[in-house]
Amino acid sequence: MNGNFEPKIMAFVCNWCTYAGADLAGTSRMEYRPNVRIVKLPCTGRIDPLFIIKAFENGADGVLVSGCHPGDCHYTAGNYHARRRWIAFRSLMEFTGIDMRRLHFSWVSASEAIKWVDLINSVTDEVKQLGPFMEYRGLKEKAAE
Amino acid sequence: MTDKLLKRENLDKLIGSVTVGGGVFVAPGMEARRVVFREVTRADEMTHDYIIPVNSYKDWVFPQTEVIARFAIKKDGVDLKGEKIEPPETVVFGARPCEAASLASLRSVFTWDFIDEFYTRREDRLTVLTVACTAADDECFCTTVELSPESTVGSDVYLKETADGDYLASAITDKGTAFMEKYSTLFEGASAEAKPKELFIPEKIDGIDLDRIKKWLDNKDHYDDPLWAELSRKCFGCGACTFSCPTCHCFDITDEGTTYEGEKRKNWDACQFEHFTLHASGHNPRDAQFKRWRNRFMCKFNIYPKKFTSTGCVGCGRCIRVCPVRHDITEVMEAISGR
Amino acid sequence: MENALREKARELLTSGEVQVVIGYGWNRRKTRTTPVFITRSEDADRLVFNPLCVNNLSIYLTRKYKDIQALGRPAIVAKGCDIKNIVVLISESQVKREGVYIIGATCNGVVYKQELWAGELNPGIMPTKCHNCDVRNPHVTDFVVGDKTDFTPPEEPTGMVFDRIRELDKKTPSERWGFWIEEFSRCIKCYACRQACSLCYCERCITEKNMPQWVETSAHPRGNLSWNLIRAMHLAGRCTFCGECERSCPVNIPLNLVNQKLVLTVKDAFSYRSGYDEKEHPPMIVYSPEDKENFIK
Repeated sequence: MNGNFEPKIMAFVCNWCTYAGADLAGTSRMEYRPNVRIVKLPCTGRIDPLFIIKAFENGADGVLVSGCHPGDCHYTAGNYHARRRWIAFRSLMEFTGIDMRRLHFSWVSASEAIKWVDLINSVTDEVKQLGPFMEYRGLKEKAAE
Repeated sequence: MTDKLLKRENLDKLIGSVTVGGGVFVAPGMEARRVVFREVTRADEMTHDYIIPVNSYKDWVFPQTEVIARFAIKKDGVDLKGEKIEPPETVVFGARPCEAASLASLRSVFTWDFIDEFYTRREDRLTVLTVACTAADDECFCTTVELSPESTVGSDVYLKETADGDYLASAITDKGTAFMEKYSTLFEGASAEAKPKELFIPEKIDGIDLDRIKKWLDNKDHYDDPLWAELSRKCFGCGACTFSCPTCHCFDITDEGTTYEGEKRKNWDACQFEHFTLHASGHNPRDAQFKRWRNRFMCKFNIYPKKFTSTGCVGCGRCIRVCPVRHDITEVMEAISGR
Repeated sequence: MENALREKARELLTSGEVQVVIGYGWNRRKTRTTPVFITRSEDADRLVFNPLCVNNLSIYLTRKYKDIQALGRPAIVAKGCDIKNIVVLISESQVKREGVYIIGATCNGVVYKQELWAGELNPGIMPTKCHNCDVRNPHVTDFVVGDKTDFTPPEEPTGMVFDRIRELDKKTPSERWGFWIEEFSRCIKCYACRQACSLCYCERCITEKNMPQWVETSAHPRGNLSWNLIRAMHLAGRCTFCGECERSCPVNIPLNLVNQKLVLTVKDAFSYRSGYDEKEHPPMIVYSPEDKENFIK
């Protein structure tokens, strides 16, 4: 289905690890799906769940949140706080009926360029399979009535 | 004025004839365990056993949210287009006489120093079919504010239920006459046997004297009377009363969209919200909840009657029913009357 | 019980230990209860306590109510469930324990909505929280009115809210989505849920942050969804399931379901139940390196 559909993937990433990992992938001339739009933040602890809701509101078909492995936070504990938040938020999103294949969380360090490439490829393919997030876009059309 | 008979079984046909041409038929129906005004397409979506729907039908003349303009930011400037509305023919069936009186109040605001076409165009296309009350609950107080189930103000067609569940209809306005002529096949000549059920007239609340309230409010010294805080500090500042009130009309204009394009929307707003009067400087002239509640009361019983001829409060009692802390406007009216 | 309550209120006001008693009183027709603020000992007889006393009065202790704080030190009439909220307020440094005199009222349950009252309390008209209540004898108090009740809540939580959560969990995501969009689309953005909640004490709510406007204020399905999701999220690990938001909602959105879902999630993930111990930190401001999840790749 949707042979020509190219999903929009929003990635909220930590400056100190995943962003550097993505950078490494680039400088290493690794090729991966161009569907991802990266927003870099100082820490996963800075990622407000509202960002994710806003991303879907603004037409993202999938969202990825990625930061430092447990124990590696530049600010000691930001990712631990973020993890707690995600546990609650993911449960809420799942309960609301958002397909969990559209919302991904990962730990990618500055050296894990290959992991980043594989992750983006697999997330993009998965969301592509699902097709555009029409349920959420439909809300906007409903709103315009 | 001769009464015509609208048979209960003809309601379905009436709804069909209105909606077939793209019209909207609004009537009380059950939704989420409450009776509400909503758009119906068949008579079996309606309910006839109700005192008054929890929401007001003002939503069909003054929608909760509507687009009034669209904008797009382009290289050579901003493209701003006002929205033109062409409302469909809208029929409200089953309004109560109290609420029918509220349209005049809305109209006076929306045509006061600026003609708000988003309102007037809708109201021009609206026909109100009022069904007079045969029951009331503890919260009804229309008679206290000089209305009653017998009042026809604001109704285009005034209906009285008969024992068989049919309706005796009389046209009140030209719009009502036109409506009954347009659908004349459904409004039959009434036989002498068709007797209306007796109307239920709620008792006027003894201790309330509207004139005294108005006079008391007019005295500026009473603005800082301790009574306001005593009676309404329990109000916690939600907008439930305001949003269900048929005469509340405040709105907010907000932009919504992405970086390059979007729309201007007109959304309901409530004077009960803390940020309603918050200035950009940080100063808030109504800095406590009781002051915001005082404003609501002043608006209905002082500001409104002084500015317009229409009434500010029609006594439908919705604000009392819906209030999470059971703040009762009639208790304040009583307290002020006793001053 | 009411006599003991009035007696205590009179005593507190006369001795000057408190300057205001926040409690319940009758409306004019004596058909519904409503919050009252007693500042004079001779008015103490207005206080009542019965199954119609549904309001969670702890909202009046929060910083939004500066005019009530101006009256002086408060005493508050609180059921066990209301005390849970006071406990959260204390643990979040919003209220000082010694800053409020808690008159705990033993409770055998209240009605879900006052309109349901027909002169007698029966399980059919009680909200889910009452069926599972383990604080019918209030847990953090300065004084208790009413006789001790012996009620053991069931092991497995029962009641409509839990049944419906289980039911929804079994559905497919798109069925759940359909359910919630329909429920939320009724939202009229009156913010009664927020105002009724004593834990929504922010002076500037996220929906009032308008530079930029984060949550769309329009009452269309998209704005309604983000508002309801973000409010639920802001209560994660804090909500005590007092049910005031759902009771206050004029359009009957089943907010208890979202909030209780998160209560269950927090209980499973962090073994935390809010509202019992004012010395414990709320789960969302602390962390543990041992937190378990299975979804982070």
